[in-house]
Amino acid sequence: MGEIPEKHVGEAGSPKQHTSETASLPDQVGNVGRRTMEELVEDICASQGKTQLSLGPLEKVYVFWLAGMSCDGCTVSVTGATEPALEDLLTGSIPGVPLVILHHYVLQLEAGDHYMQSLLKAEQGKLDGPYVIAYEGSIPDENLTAGGEPFAGEGSLPLWAPSTERRRVSTAEWVKRLAPGAAAMIAVGTCATWGGIPAAYGNITGSMSVMDWLGADYRSALGLPVINIPGCAPVGDNFTDAVQAILLFLQGLGPLPEFDELGRPAWQFSETVHRHCVRAGYYEEGVFAKEFGDKECLVEIGCWGPVVQCNITEKGAVGHQGGCMNAGGPCIGCTMPGFPDKFSPFYKSPPGSLFSSNASRLLGSIVRPLRRISQRERNREIRWHETVPSGWAMEKGDTSLTHKILEFFYEAMQFQGAKRPEKQPAKKFPPGHQSLPDRVYDGDYQVLPEEREKKAEKRA
Amino acid sequence: MCFKNLPIEFDAQGNAQLIGGVANPYAYTPRQIKRDKLEELLARNGHIKDVSISPVTRVAGALSFHAVADLQERKFLEANSVATIFRGYEVILKGRDPRDAIYISSRACGVCGGVHSTAACEAIEMAFGISPPPLGTVLRNLALALDFLYDHPLHLFLLAGPDYSQVVVEATSPAMWEKAQVTEAPNAEVHQFKTIGDIMKGLNPLSGKLYLDGLKMTRTPREAYSVLFGKYPHPQTVVPGGMSSTVTITDFNETLTRLQKMMDWTKRMILLWDDLTEFFYGFNPEYKKVGARDKNMIDLGMWDDPDSYDATYARCNEWGEARWATPGVVIDGNLVTTKLQQINLGLEEFVEHSYYENWNQNGVRFKTDPSGAPLSPNHPWNKETMPKPSKESWKDRYTWSTAPRWDRQVVEAGAYARIWTTAAAGLMPKNDFLESTGHSLKIHMPKTMLREMDFEWKIPEVWNAFERNRARAYCMGYNLMVGYTMVLKAFDYLRKGEDKVSTHFEVPKGERIGVGFWGAGRGYLSHHLTLDKGAITNYQIVTPSTFNASPKDPFGNAGPYEEAVLNTPILEDYSRPEDFTGVDMLRAIRSFDPCMPCTTHIYGGEREIVREVNTCACSAEG
Repeated sequence: MGEIPEKHVGEAGSPKQHTSETASLPDQVGNVGRRTMEELVEDICASQGKTQLSLGPLEKVYVFWLAGMSCDGCTVSVTGATEPALEDLLTGSIPGVPLVILHHYVLQLEAGDHYMQSLLKAEQGKLDGPYVIAYEGSIPDENLTAGGEPFAGEGSLPLWAPSTERRRVSTAEWVKRLAPGAAAMIAVGTCATWGGIPAAYGNITGSMSVMDWLGADYRSALGLPVINIPGCAPVGDNFTDAVQAILLFLQGLGPLPEFDELGRPAWQFSETVHRHCVRAGYYEEGVFAKEFGDKECLVEIGCWGPVVQCNITEKGAVGHQGGCMNAGGPCIGCTMPGFPDKFSPFYKSPPGSLFSSNASRLLGSIVRPLRRISQRERNREIRWHETVPSGWAMEKGDTSLTHKILEFFYEAMQFQGAKRPEKQPAKKFPPGHQSLPDRVYDGDYQVLPEEREKKAEKRA
Repeated sequence: MCFKNLPIEFDAQGNAQLIGGVANPYAYTPRQIKRDKLEELLARNGHIKDVSISPVTRVAGALSFHAVADLQERKFLEANSVATIFRGYEVILKGRDPRDAIYISSRACGVCGGVHSTAACEAIEMAFGISPPPLGTVLRNLALALDFLYDHPLHLFLLAGPDYSQVVVEATSPAMWEKAQVTEAPNAEVHQFKTIGDIMKGLNPLSGKLYLDGLKMTRTPREAYSVLFGKYPHPQTVVPGGMSSTVTITDFNETLTRLQKMMDWTKRMILLWDDLTEFFYGFNPEYKKVGARDKNMIDLGMWDDPDSYDATYARCNEWGEARWATPGVVIDGNLVTTKLQQINLGLEEFVEHSYYENWNQNGVRFKTDPSGAPLSPNHPWNKETMPKPSKESWKDRYTWSTAPRWDRQVVEAGAYARIWTTAAAGLMPKNDFLESTGHSLKIHMPKTMLREMDFEWKIPEVWNAFERNRARAYCMGYNLMVGYTMVLKAFDYLRKGEDKVSTHFEVPKGERIGVGFWGAGRGYLSHHLTLDKGAITNYQIVTPSTFNASPKDPFGNAGPYEEAVLNTPILEDYSRPEDFTGVDMLRAIRSFDPCMPCTTHIYGGEREIVREVNTCACSAEG
């Protein structure tokens, strides 16, 4: 808190009454600031003094956030992102990264037609910069609602008309209208990337992913297939990180971001979540949690981590904190195309773990005791032999013959092919040892200074 | 006797029964909506304006609003709240293993990201006959306190806040902006914003300090939430019979650090909303009518007492009243009940003006609740709605939201309802930080970087948009102290060695019934479920925004958003009708903190929707 730079504080400036494009539109319903968020951002940037130095060809990029069959969880995740943070992208505060003008129904200043008109502008190619679509939620089959109201609607057309002359526009229609001209189409969250819960068994709305809906042949204006950032909800940073990586590449600054065969950012999703799990070591030693709340590996109480591609255990959920298994939550595969039906019923161990966890249990039964023996000796200082000077519990060293033999061979292997430091006899303080102050002050140097002075006088 | 309209009476022992001698006790004749006069007025045009706001932004999810405004008389003649999304979640749940309900229903809403999983969990616990160990309950409470500590600031500073910012006030009421700049903020010493104008500047989107700090502070509780529950939204540690969090001292210390940060910030922020509210009232007392409604509200309470909660329906009144937020229904400003069973009995859902067919022809599945009290055929346990996508018509059907009612009265839900019922009931468990006095809630916040401070939310005289926001600001303090108390309780259980967080369960094979009475960031949340042969046979979710965004009911009463807009005077400045922005009605709507994903997960019934619905979408065009 309080780290807002002074110049950021409350300087939106006055509305430029007559420069505003929106002022001349048929009505002002929903335009509560009498200027749109886009115009407001321009004002903010102007009040901060726009830099003349351009670090690349792009000055600004529009991002249209559309939501279909969504729960808004992806939006909420993205507001939690910190690397980079949303507000930094939206105010053009990251050097080299173009200003991101986000058009999002949760954050926009204006409502209604003033909000919707930008989408039409984008479709007609009238924006002063390229645009990207971020799509949250799955896309329902609106053929099922023909003649009725759509399952997922956003806005109504024609703009500025009375309600009885309007028709509500489905988000699917917006995708159809805007996808061809978009510089990139980013599907955010598992519903948009693969279909997610709305597309699970029992799906009566014909819901599907953006990829399913647009088809494998879809290419954006920049020639890209759909970019997929899965997760239910995704780690917010995965979205902002991917956006920043793409923008920096387009600016000619960053390296080429790689995507895998399903369009996921490869640097975020090529590893399984198990590989970076804080509990993976338990798996390796064949130790498994039996009850919810146990600290060991969660595979046998329903964790699918070993086969799930996700980075939450290393990246954390919000501000590098948490991550499902780190906190005790078994992975239910929410980043995967098979979610939820190929991972349910939840809280039941994955069938594959019958083989793999028993194999690691077997291996673990050998590795674990050996490690404990080595660990025990590594818990000793080289000076400690018979006794350990700890007042807690471990007072005795291990002096048994087997231990000495084991340790002899262990040490021989440890220094094989390497120089072993000279073994020095451990120096112990002789009994009755006096430190320098003890000798000077007669053993009571810790008493008060005045008394010490008196004593010193006496000695003198 | 809490029911005025339902045919239920209570015997000497307090057991509910149907009033005798009524043939069809729950029957009713739907009232038609008439708008001929209005259409005539609209046709004459002039100052009568058809206002269409699609979408309403700065709310969660897909909401549209239609209204007819008289720009000369400066009032609204008609209001329609329109939910524009349908996902059929409850159909997806039907026929599944009940263990899936927690994580699937969680995805009904990602805004307050762990409320559905917890409500589902309580419903399952009732159906399974299990209950969590004390530390499990404490963790659950802590999760929800942290959840709302993100949720309320998000609403106050990012969603509603901009409507009170310099940008909006200067554009819609220049005179107010002039006055704000020279009006000293009474609590400036606490919140550090010298004038009301400074507060308004602070609320400017993407540049104001309050806006940016608010966004940052939404992350702090979410970090703590992630530490304990894996991620936000959709926590990964909610299990039947408890939680699966592995708790360590460090986890609680990390949580405490973040609670302390929240305390420092919250102490400054609460009174800021007092100053803003009083300034608007002072500038023009008419602002007291913006978003005004009768004082009718409902809440199920939440934050269980670990020693009382046993997940049984039979004892729900006892464990309900032992909660840290007291369940209750307020009618005309009076608390009429605090009993969960009575609240449950009064609940009905109507679909006359929604895109669903009525289900009553299929017979009534449950005539009584598990305790033998009478249950309406319109109760969620009996509900079986068929979606019927049809054409929008203001006279007929116009939304995907249903109309839930309590005792056939329009009640609203919200964090403010929670603090209201808790303050009025005087049943808050004894503790050092929160006290319910019967007319107010006292909040004591200990010393942090800032000195210790006391706050008192008093049940307001008037009920409107400003009071909803003000109450939400006080709720930040309320949640915070519940959260802090839960950390202390968790330490206490750990000290006693009671460190179990979950309990063993088996999926029962017989017929079972359950309900989760819980709360979301926006208040009331219930999950009703029935199981048979180890699978879900019916699943019904009623959310706060289903209440608030509801359309008109068959008795002719408008839903809460609609009613609030109808009561709102148009106070903004405009010289020509084209300059009208609708800021007053938007303030009214946003004060409810609408959350549409929650509203419209709604159930779809067994019937598959086929293309033929085109032909049966026969409603008359409005």
